[in-house]
Amino acid sequence: MFFKLAYQNAKRSRQENLIYFFTLVIAVASFYIILALENQDVIIYLRTFESEAVEKLFALMPVLYVIALLLIAFLVLFANRYQLDRRSREFGLYMVLGMRRRKLFLQLVTEGAISSCFALVGGIVVGGILSELVSLVTARLVGQGIIGHQLSFSLSAAGCTALAFLVIQCFVSLALGLRMFSRELHELLYGRMSKKQARGTTRGNITTLLVGLVLLGASYTIVLNHFTLAQEQLMFMATMLVAVLLCCIGTLLVIRGSARLIGLVAGSKRSSQTRGLRSFTLRQFQEFIANKPLSITASALLVFFAIVFLAAGASLILSSGRTEAFSVYDLTVMGEDQKVQAALASAELSPYVAELNRMELGYLVHTVKDDRPVVDLDWSGLREKLVAALPAGIPDPGPQQNGYSMLSEDPWELNLLKNLDSRMMIPDLIPQSSYNRLLEAAGLEPLNLASDEATFYFNPQFYPAGQALGGTGLDSLLRETQGDAQAPLRIGTHPLRLAPLPAMKALVADSLFGLAFAIIVPDALFDEQVDPANISVYWNFCIPQALEDEQGLLVPIKAASALLKSSGLAFESYLQNFGRQLFYVIAGSYTLLYLGFLFLIIGSTVLALQFLTQMRQARARYLTLSMLGAKRAQLRRCLHSQVAAYFLLPLALAIASGTVGVWVLLGFMLSLADYGSQLYASAAAVAGVVILIELLYAVAVAKTATHALERYLQKTRTE
Amino acid sequence: MGNLTKLLEVHDIRKDYGKPDSPTRALRGVSFDVLQGEFLGIMGASGSGKTTLLNCIATIIKPSEGEILLSGENIAHFGGRDLARYRGSRIGYLFQDFELLDNLTGRENILLPLSIHGEKVALAEAKLAELAAFFEIDDVLQRFPTQMSGGQKQRVAAARCLISNPDIVLADEPTGALDTRSARLLMDKLDGSNRQHGTTILMVTHDANAASFCSRILFIQDGVIFHELRRQLPTETRDAYYARILAVMAQLGGGSANVL
Repeated sequence: MFFKLAYQNAKRSRQENLIYFFTLVIAVASFYIILALENQDVIIYLRTFESEAVEKLFALMPVLYVIALLLIAFLVLFANRYQLDRRSREFGLYMVLGMRRRKLFLQLVTEGAISSCFALVGGIVVGGILSELVSLVTARLVGQGIIGHQLSFSLSAAGCTALAFLVIQCFVSLALGLRMFSRELHELLYGRMSKKQARGTTRGNITTLLVGLVLLGASYTIVLNHFTLAQEQLMFMATMLVAVLLCCIGTLLVIRGSARLIGLVAGSKRSSQTRGLRSFTLRQFQEFIANKPLSITASALLVFFAIVFLAAGASLILSSGRTEAFSVYDLTVMGEDQKVQAALASAELSPYVAELNRMELGYLVHTVKDDRPVVDLDWSGLREKLVAALPAGIPDPGPQQNGYSMLSEDPWELNLLKNLDSRMMIPDLIPQSSYNRLLEAAGLEPLNLASDEATFYFNPQFYPAGQALGGTGLDSLLRETQGDAQAPLRIGTHPLRLAPLPAMKALVADSLFGLAFAIIVPDALFDEQVDPANISVYWNFCIPQALEDEQGLLVPIKAASALLKSSGLAFESYLQNFGRQLFYVIAGSYTLLYLGFLFLIIGSTVLALQFLTQMRQARARYLTLSMLGAKRAQLRRCLHSQVAAYFLLPLALAIASGTVGVWVLLGFMLSLADYGSQLYASAAAVAGVVILIELLYAVAVAKTATHALERYLQKTRTE
Repeated sequence: MGNLTKLLEVHDIRKDYGKPDSPTRALRGVSFDVLQGEFLGIMGASGSGKTTLLNCIATIIKPSEGEILLSGENIAHFGGRDLARYRGSRIGYLFQDFELLDNLTGRENILLPLSIHGEKVALAEAKLAELAAFFEIDDVLQRFPTQMSGGQKQRVAAARCLISNPDIVLADEPTGALDTRSARLLMDKLDGSNRQHGTTILMVTHDANAASFCSRILFIQDGVIFHELRRQLPTETRDAYYARILAVMAQLGGGSANVL
């Protein structure tokens, strides 16, 4: 009997209150996803790198677990509180009928456990599917050739999820049960005594609203104007903290203050003269805000953080494609020529070698004078061109003695000028033939320098073309020098003309390779100007295409790496740098996207359940309206406008703050890389996702509220 | 009560609750007319069926049998738009516990029926001022119900009920939640509205004092009309009428049954 009652009640909870059940399912799914992270293809793959940095970061995972657990516990607590408040009358009735508290409490816990079991099954299924999808999508994004797929379902994660969720549910039931039983029976039966709403004075509220707007404005101004990467880290953090704090307080004050403003609009003559339920709708909305400004503020801020986190996560994913576009070689070997040649030509290793390129790099002979290196090089011709190209009003900074600083807001010509001033002190040289083999391996046209020509190499890792080189700006500048009488560049006794820039590719497999700038010169000039003692040699090669098509990249690179390791040669593989890069991107974007979605869900759930609770408390009003002749359609419309207004207020604030946040974030990203249009697209996509999810919640709330109202009216009619 | 047009005609109303094989018969055939400008009371012990009757007229409940005509139109035939019109503007309903919306001001509450029906509220300003003066609620128009006394609330509710010039006011125990003084003031006002403006009122009550304001009283017992009293105007005083009411109530199943 007891269990049957509990079972039926739990079933009714699920049917009557989809939002409650859905929230529990989401909570379980989110927790499962975070615990099953270790079974994701990408993570398994990353584990194969026995890198200290990666291990250290993995050790930080429990911190994320705890944060997720706390957030989810809050979600479960909130959903259950709503559910209990909804049924407080029923519990009061049980108690009036003489049910003992202990028994009622036991029943509550049993009901909670039954609901939890259903939510667990649903949540783990949903979480499993989502996890699998994420695993597949990331594997695809990262490159399917690299990762073999395996099923990501994890029994241990499911077990831990179940355990954690049940523990949370028990605690929540306990806390809420104690809270409920400490109330008076009358309160359970007839709801809380209607407390008079302290609506405050008009002037006070308007002041609150204005102060709130000013604080928000101040926060935006700080973020937009005083936020640069050039700041010191401490200063940067402090500025950010102040801005976020101002934004939080500002949002709260705006929401608090707007209640009265809405009251004023509702109370105005014009409003009460308008047909339909307008003044009632406005008064309802005013009451919602006046009663729960804190939770509406919390929702607005959560959605705001969600927007920023999601945008950051999405743009981080986009940045993961960066190295791939530049890298050509899969492995780079260093060592004595004969030894390397022998090893690469060996029967075991040779099947893995294609596009072999013995890349030479060397720097000019220099002498030291006044503690500064001096090389026999003159680039004043080019420098004059650059200075002349500076936008009006910007003076030549002059050769920098002690380093330089690049600022993203400065024009590219100035940044490049400062940069070259420093790079030209002892520039590296690349012989044309080495670079041409690289271009050929990448499937590009080779350079064809005349004996008195040179050009520049800018490592794309450090110089994103659009940002640092002014798009085609530098290229056209180089073309202009061609007709000049004075050679723009001289090395030793050779005056050199400057050829157009070649395509920029990574010189070796490892992207952390630190060479940022070099001059590409004809082979003869290289041999003449570079002392053999100053030459470094890198043996680069690719895995043959046929092998890659057959086995993917991972397997052959690993096999070749093992062979090289046994031969005792120093080597770097594309995968190492790829793994490092991937880990930062994956760990960062997973965390950001995960927290972003969690914030979004929690914010929306708080908003949704709060609305339904208040709507329930005020449902008798709708009966009165209906008695006064309000039509069903009118009531529905009124309810829908309430939901719309109620969701729009925090959403509007969140989007306003979110736009500023994302704007600044994109500013940072753009200064680092060269994929603007994609970034804006991703920001737009994030905004779309947030609005879509809010819309879904609003529709669900409107449907639930309408349904509950119609049932209530029906019930009171037939009684 | 100059003209004798029948405003409301109730023909043989029956209402059963519960299962068809063992029904609870709340109304077992009730028939009466309400004349234009009449102040009719319906009295009876609790469970006698008086509220069921009122709810049938207010279209809150559908009668099992019988018909109710308002100015000759069968209200059972109203559907959708007509029904909403009927509820909001042809009848005014005065509830025992006021049913004011506590997040609207007095003024907004009073104007609500008009805005629900999409009527031009601007035209009703004069009417609102008149009603406010009549019911002595000028000073609470800008207040919220939580800031009003019970009597003020019920008078605001009465003004809301009259704002749309209904054909008939249905009052369900309007004094039930009021103290004696407030009840008296409210009845004075309803009486005044009936006399000065010819408002037709149908009031359900078990308060003999309130009933003594009616020009005619129907007594209901066990779902049928059991007795009818008419005040002998202009000769009979309210006190004498009150005594007659008490006498009938004492007959109605013995004293204590009248206590709710």
